Amino acid sequence: MTAVTPLDQHVGVGLKAPGRLRQETVWGLILIVPYLVLFLAFVLYPVGYGLWLGSDPKTYIRLWRDPVFFNAVVNTVVFLGVAVNVKMFLALLLSGFFTHEQRWIRWLSIVFILPWAVPSIPTILSFRWMLNAEWGMVNNLIFRYFQVEGPVWLLNRWSGLAAVCVVHIWKYLPFWTLILLAGRLAIPRDLYESADVDGAGGLQKFRYVTFPSMQNLYITCTLLSTIMSLGDFNSVYLLTGGGPADSTQTLATLGIRYAFGMSEIEAGVSTVVIALPVMIPLLFLMLRRMRRGEQG
Amino acid sequence: MNRIWKEGRLVLVAIPLLLWTLIPIYHLLVMAITPKSETFAGELWPKQPTIENFGIVIHQGHYYLEHFWIQFANSAFVAVMVCLLTLAIASAATFAISRLRVRGGVFVSNLALATYLVPPAFLAIPMYKVMANYELLNTQWALILTMVTFASPYAIWVLKQYADKLPYELDEAARIDGAGPMQIFRLVYLPLMVPCLVAVGTYALLLAWNEYLYAFLMLSSETETTLAVALGQFLSGDEAPWNLLMATGMVYALPPAVIYYVFRRYMVSGLTAGAVKS
Amino acid sequence: MASVNIEAVRKRYGALEVIHGIDIDIPDGEFVVLVGPSGCGKSTLLRMIAGLEEISEGVIRIGERKVNDVPPKDRDIAMVFQNYALYPHMTVRENMGFSLKLRKAERKVIEERVKRAAEILGLGPLLDRYPKQLSGGQRQRVAMGRAIVRSPHVFLFDEPLSNLDAKLRVQMRTEIKALHQQLKTTSIYVTHDQIEAMTMADRIVVMHDGIVEQIGSPIELYDTPANIFVAGFIGSPAINLVSGVLRRNGNRNWVATEAGIDLPLGEVKAGQDGQPVVYGIRPEHLVPANGQGLPVKVEVVEPTGASTFVYADLSGAQICGVFTERHGFHPGSTIHLMPQMDRVHLFDSKTGQRLSA
Repeated sequence: MTAVTPLDQHVGVGLKAPGRLRQETVWGLILIVPYLVLFLAFVLYPVGYGLWLGSDPKTYIRLWRDPVFFNAVVNTVVFLGVAVNVKMFLALLLSGFFTHEQRWIRWLSIVFILPWAVPSIPTILSFRWMLNAEWGMVNNLIFRYFQVEGPVWLLNRWSGLAAVCVVHIWKYLPFWTLILLAGRLAIPRDLYESADVDGAGGLQKFRYVTFPSMQNLYITCTLLSTIMSLGDFNSVYLLTGGGPADSTQTLATLGIRYAFGMSEIEAGVSTVVIALPVMIPLLFLMLRRMRRGEQG
Repeated sequence: MNRIWKEGRLVLVAIPLLLWTLIPIYHLLVMAITPKSETFAGELWPKQPTIENFGIVIHQGHYYLEHFWIQFANSAFVAVMVCLLTLAIASAATFAISRLRVRGGVFVSNLALATYLVPPAFLAIPMYKVMANYELLNTQWALILTMVTFASPYAIWVLKQYADKLPYELDEAARIDGAGPMQIFRLVYLPLMVPCLVAVGTYALLLAWNEYLYAFLMLSSETETTLAVALGQFLSGDEAPWNLLMATGMVYALPPAVIYYVFRRYMVSGLTAGAVKS
Repeated sequence: MASVNIEAVRKRYGALEVIHGIDIDIPDGEFVVLVGPSGCGKSTLLRMIAGLEEISEGVIRIGERKVNDVPPKDRDIAMVFQNYALYPHMTVRENMGFSLKLRKAERKVIEERVKRAAEILGLGPLLDRYPKQLSGGQRQRVAMGRAIVRSPHVFLFDEPLSNLDAKLRVQMRTEIKALHQQLKTTSIYVTHDQIEAMTMADRIVVMHDGIVEQIGSPIELYDTPANIFVAGFIGSPAINLVSGVLRRNGNRNWVATEAGIDLPLGEVKAGQDGQPVVYGIRPEHLVPANGQGLPVKVEVVEPTGASTFVYADLSGAQICGVFTERHGFHPGSTIHLMPQMDRVHLFDSKTGQRLSA
């Protein structure tokens, strides 16, 4: 017998108690209607509208012939593959670092969270100016100490894309570290103690205790981060603006560019719709994982 | 000796971590106190640091800053409205789903969860068209409603998890004590949800304050738009006054940073509950 | 105050019936305990009385009023929950006064009644604390206080003591009983603990798998259990039950076990020679006898101080005996135990019902 009975154990219980039927059902409906209205008006309608706008196959043929679009697809895949995985792996390592209980590490964690706590616009713009090829602090210092011209960071497709990845990782690393840290702290301490008793070393403890307990969380986080990063508009738009010559566009920014820069609404929507075959399975996978997490 | 070695290893991680975290913020700060003459010098520390830039921002003393305070107020208004609306909608919905166990409630919470997983940037174009159809474009309500749409799924997801853990007997005790549904909502549910409401409210507030894309799409008039858009506007000319941009950016970043650190404890628990649970 | 009548009550969840028609009459002022193993439907029945569950079939009356369709708040009942269900954000005072506040009672009235309830329960100094600042026993008392503030017609208790440690449980048991003697409010108390039931109840309702096995005073249930289930459920350590065949030969009766042991019987009114039966004798009704009675091999000896439990083997059947004298039995030794003839219970093997009753 637990001290607190969670609701789940009451499935079916109390649903039809006397006097509930009218009053509670009515109130339940009244209270849920605002969200339903919001959902219908601002989720279902736009989604349907978007799918309708993106339903012309000719648009896709045109997109496929556009080298900018092809580049954007490649960029998106590279961005997700590199930025997400590097970020998650670093987060996994750093979450271990932050489990140490020294006071100075606590203080460090407060500083470490800054990129996540402050809005991204000023910091991304700070990166942008810092990496400016002619006037930026980075190249200026390179010239001063090495007497060579620094790279044209944001004016080249691959270094620009790399910079986008760095900015993305810089911004979101604290968040995922926090999540994985919570996961690590949830591992029962006695598992480590019994591993100690069994004579396991640091690496072995990671291999046999930490990793198996974190595996599931790590995968869920990576999937979730992939979906969210797919929609990372700011890191690209505010850093490179998709340039030079649209070579660093990703699907998220290119869609906006088609629609609002070139007034090609259908092309813009289709750019996003193209990602759906990848996104929808991911979404269902995540839904299943998160719902299971909720019940477990 | 062993302890020093252990601590030393931690320091070896900490130093690069600190540099990595602080360099862009340091650069932001340095530019914000750089006088106009040195903006293009790219120095590690300005020769003549100044706080004049902040004065220009506060007194709206530049072409890009003409409407600074109005835009600041716009940002605040939008953020507060999004926060309040999200709290109202999500707390009502989760009460209905989790406590009143309304029919179809689980379905609605799954809808919300699915919405949470859709990247907002992907909905930008149709959302823009839909707002045009509703004739809400160029009003702050377009932005507010959009942000509520994106904040409330997360809010519902987190609140529901928290609400599901409240002992059901509390509601039953209240019913036996004579409380109706709305009294349970007001007198039992809301007070018990306060920590979670703080987390969710802060999340919504910051989400709205920080939003760039939708603000930029939906608000075009300079006096209607938010600070985020105003910051982006600096880049529209050929030569942006980077020092002023950074000073404005700092003023813009300060309120959310303060709010974040004040409610950090709640935020962290909310985020960890909301992002993943497995 | 009021009587409670339960008539042919059934409970179904969809196609699944969990309560199969129950009749209980509870006169005004009685303390009734519903007892049974978990899943027997006792809590569901209590929740139907409270109005937290719909009644699928049958009638429940509180006083003379049929309450099937009356919401909980209008039934004039109070309930104490297993986890106390105290509102964590309210002080003890606010917790206790909440129901009166909802009923829009005057502040003075609320204050006065909370104060009186607090006095009865010794909660005076705790009124301004929050539940989390209280010990388990104190929380329990506040939960009771919240119930008595309203002076309801019926108190309902849903396993109120199961979250307390053993010592407090015994203490609260006495307090609840004393409180009932003082207030004389009809009380229905659910527990899975037969000792709680025995010590507190005016009458016990033993439930099992959604039916009532027996209703009676604690002593009735102990002395004349209606069936094997009740016999096994009431009493600790549990009654010894041995299967065998009833033998009647003139005025000599006994039960022959498969292992070839003859279990002695006194006078037997019912049952025929050759009928398969279950022979029941409580551990405390076995008496050590020199050379006579049943030869058993001692396996485990558990001295508790006041008495000694002896677990022994009777040709394959485990037998328990409880002795207040200190016999100094040793594991491995063979002793003889004699059942007190007038304390033997006989049950029909097939129906499980009591013979000879």
